[in-house]
Amino acid sequence: MLKYIARRVLQVIPVFIGVTLVLFLLQAVIPGDPVKMITGERAMSPALRLQIMKANNLDKPIPVQYVIYVNKLLHGDLGTSYQRGRAVRDMLGEKYPYTVKLAFAAIIIEIIVGIAAGIISAVKRYSFLDVLVTLSTSVLVSVPVFWLGMLLQVFFGILLKQWSGGQIYMPISGAGGLSTDFPDWVYLVLPAITLASVSTAYAARIMRSQLLEIMGADYIRTARAKGLTSQAVIWRHALKNALIPVVTFIGLDLGAMLSGAILTETVYNYPGIGLEIYLAIGRRDWPVVMGGVVLVVVVVMVINLIVDVSYAFLDPRIRYGGAAE
Amino acid sequence: MSKRTRTILAAALALSLVALAFGAAGCTPKRGGTASASDTPVKGGTLSYYVNEPAYIDPYNTQESEGTNVEQSLFDSLTAINPLTSKLEPAAAESWKANSDGTVWTFKLRKGAKFHDGTPVGAKDFKYAWERIANPATDPKNPSVISYHLSPVKGFQEMADGKATDLTGVKVIDDLTLEVTLTESFADFEYVVAHPALAPVPKAAVEKDPKAFAEAPVGNGPFKMSGTWKHDQYIKVVRFDGYYGTKANLDGIDFKIFKDEDTAFREFEAGNIDFTSIPTGKIGASKTKYGVSADGYTVNPKTQVLLGAETAVYYMLMNNTDPILKNPKVRAAISMAINRQALCDTLYEGTRKPATGIVPPGIVGFQPNAWAATKYDLQGAKKMLADAGYPGGAGIPEFSLSFNTGQGHEKVMELVGSDLAKIGIKTKPDGAEWAQYLKQLDAGTYQIGRLGWIADYPIFDNFINPIFQSKSGDNKSKFVDASVDSAITDARKITDGAKRIAAYQDMEKKIGEQTPVAPLTFYAHRHVGSSRVHNLIYSPMGLGAFDKCWIVAPAAKK
Repeated sequence: MLKYIARRVLQVIPVFIGVTLVLFLLQAVIPGDPVKMITGERAMSPALRLQIMKANNLDKPIPVQYVIYVNKLLHGDLGTSYQRGRAVRDMLGEKYPYTVKLAFAAIIIEIIVGIAAGIISAVKRYSFLDVLVTLSTSVLVSVPVFWLGMLLQVFFGILLKQWSGGQIYMPISGAGGLSTDFPDWVYLVLPAITLASVSTAYAARIMRSQLLEIMGADYIRTARAKGLTSQAVIWRHALKNALIPVVTFIGLDLGAMLSGAILTETVYNYPGIGLEIYLAIGRRDWPVVMGGVVLVVVVVMVINLIVDVSYAFLDPRIRYGGAAE
Repeated sequence: MSKRTRTILAAALALSLVALAFGAAGCTPKRGGTASASDTPVKGGTLSYYVNEPAYIDPYNTQESEGTNVEQSLFDSLTAINPLTSKLEPAAAESWKANSDGTVWTFKLRKGAKFHDGTPVGAKDFKYAWERIANPATDPKNPSVISYHLSPVKGFQEMADGKATDLTGVKVIDDLTLEVTLTESFADFEYVVAHPALAPVPKAAVEKDPKAFAEAPVGNGPFKMSGTWKHDQYIKVVRFDGYYGTKANLDGIDFKIFKDEDTAFREFEAGNIDFTSIPTGKIGASKTKYGVSADGYTVNPKTQVLLGAETAVYYMLMNNTDPILKNPKVRAAISMAINRQALCDTLYEGTRKPATGIVPPGIVGFQPNAWAATKYDLQGAKKMLADAGYPGGAGIPEFSLSFNTGQGHEKVMELVGSDLAKIGIKTKPDGAEWAQYLKQLDAGTYQIGRLGWIADYPIFDNFINPIFQSKSGDNKSKFVDASVDSAITDARKITDGAKRIAAYQDMEKKIGEQTPVAPLTFYAHRHVGSSRVHNLIYSPMGLGAFDKCWIVAPAAKK
């Protein structure tokens, strides 16, 4: 196991170099003058121009710039924003906790609702509940996230408030902190539901099909034959095996959510890393974009590693790096 | 269904709904004062005001209207601009005078004015603040992009070039007297120093931690920071009770940060913010629902929609060095062929107004219909083109219409292109990324382009000098006229305000005869305030005047 983890960690190095190199080259070849990105349209003296280029290392050849960038990166310095004049590390650092909170809230919804709905619809196959789950997952999978977000905003923020005479409503944007009307966690509810919607539907579907497949397997029949109750068969034998693909899916999904949910965060004006990267792309603030993507890549790689390792606990037949059976 | 399955089912359903139910159990917001006669100011309440994420709120680099709105609530400059009349008023300086040719300015500061940290405001704080802006070494990676405000000041160039660390033109005569010497006459300089970015900053607070200062600036204005800037979320300011001037009615202002006006407008409709811009497509409905403000700038209950003109102009650039476009008749024909009213109606729901000159309303001395060639006249345009030697556009190759992509200019160019086709001028759109587009403009490698110009100060000079002075970096049409250059220099010496304005008005008309550019539209507000807001003025410059505003919760619906 340790050997396997070590090998996986070493694999991170080429991926890291590849990603930073591609990104760096991309922003270097995109037309447009970085100095203009810093100073705007106003005319400026050549002396000032040179100073800005020097201070930002833009006067050096691109390979040298790359080496400087990577060196700083390894020392934890992600550079300085072109238009904000702030350290990228600070900018991302203050946003990332929000993304983590949102991702975990969404994952909890996904795990509880997705898995439960999948189990119910598999156990009660072709029942009304099954049809309901199948139907609603089909709808959720096809609804665009931003549209669902806006619907929830209009319903919980505007209509509900009007109908109840201003008594019942929910906050529809931001992350709280300003108004005392709601505790901060309430601000997470609608974004988390929105973010979780599509994945929850997929998780339910995967859970259902896996469980149905396993319920037809020989060892389940054996378990039933030896007189176990239906509950025991499902909980002790079927579920554990059926969960493996679901865990894979949810794990990858967590990775994706931790990389920032651009659509959800923009609709809800939620100050996560997805919104930050989106806004930085819009204003061509390359150091922020680069820093954000590097952060996301690292997070995704770590999550993937954790998911791979967790298989070993779920399925005793999977043993990494050990002797072949 | 077994009992156990039922439990699981119930749990699953409940969990998905519990979150909603819990969240939905909101409470009645407690904001604003109590209802009273609507024209008597009421103390208390917090105004909730939409802004985009500002670039800076530190005067060091306050640049766009978002950051400026926040910054001007925290800081007072030497002079101030009346939000309705655009006339000058005293602010941190109680009086000021210029010498006979407008080269030396003396400002007398108010006694007893304080920064939010309690330290007194003195002349030295202005000198320090201005040097901080003018000196590119303050932040070598991100030098202040608004240092050009100080370019008329003696010693500025030396400092910008890194040859000096002292802004020699700014002298501290005594604690409360500031003397500013300019390199040449500039009688409108009193307007320049009204710019919110030229406010004083307390040296000790800045130097203790410049980064922290940028996140929570300590100013001398009517409001002070409450906590630090929560990026992409909000900036909270509260009334500063040590303020020298009239203290605000409001307890504070929550500047709520949204990435776009669509989300902000939804929050407005949900009753959670008091002032926002109206997204395109919703202007007609908003006018009916909220009522239109009579003067276009003041929000009061039932007259909540603001549509007043802004001090900004959108214009078509024509490259005056192009072999064909250097002919003023061709330029005039192009300008006359554009149906500006149709453009305003189609693209801006009639909010923006057709430009009738280069200087927009809201500028002191604005003259309507300054440029004859801005009048839509298809026949006249055809005749003008024929007079220029290109009847029906014959002999004119296809022009490229350059613009920066992604900001909605595509649609403007489309309409302009189809208008020009009517007089026989063929065009092709040529969109580029902003930075790339600017490069094109600077190098003069374009034929027809577009730009917007937003006033820094509400004066004629702010339009004439940057856009048409032959050496100006912002003269992207490459218009050169020695008589205009000397007229600008002369006008800047006239210390009599009325005479100076007359000189500029005359200049605007003379420039218009050559149609160096084709002004298209004057920008306009499309903003709305909530029904609890009284007397909130949003100036033609796009700045909220918070000092006389008050909030009364409207009477509950029956």
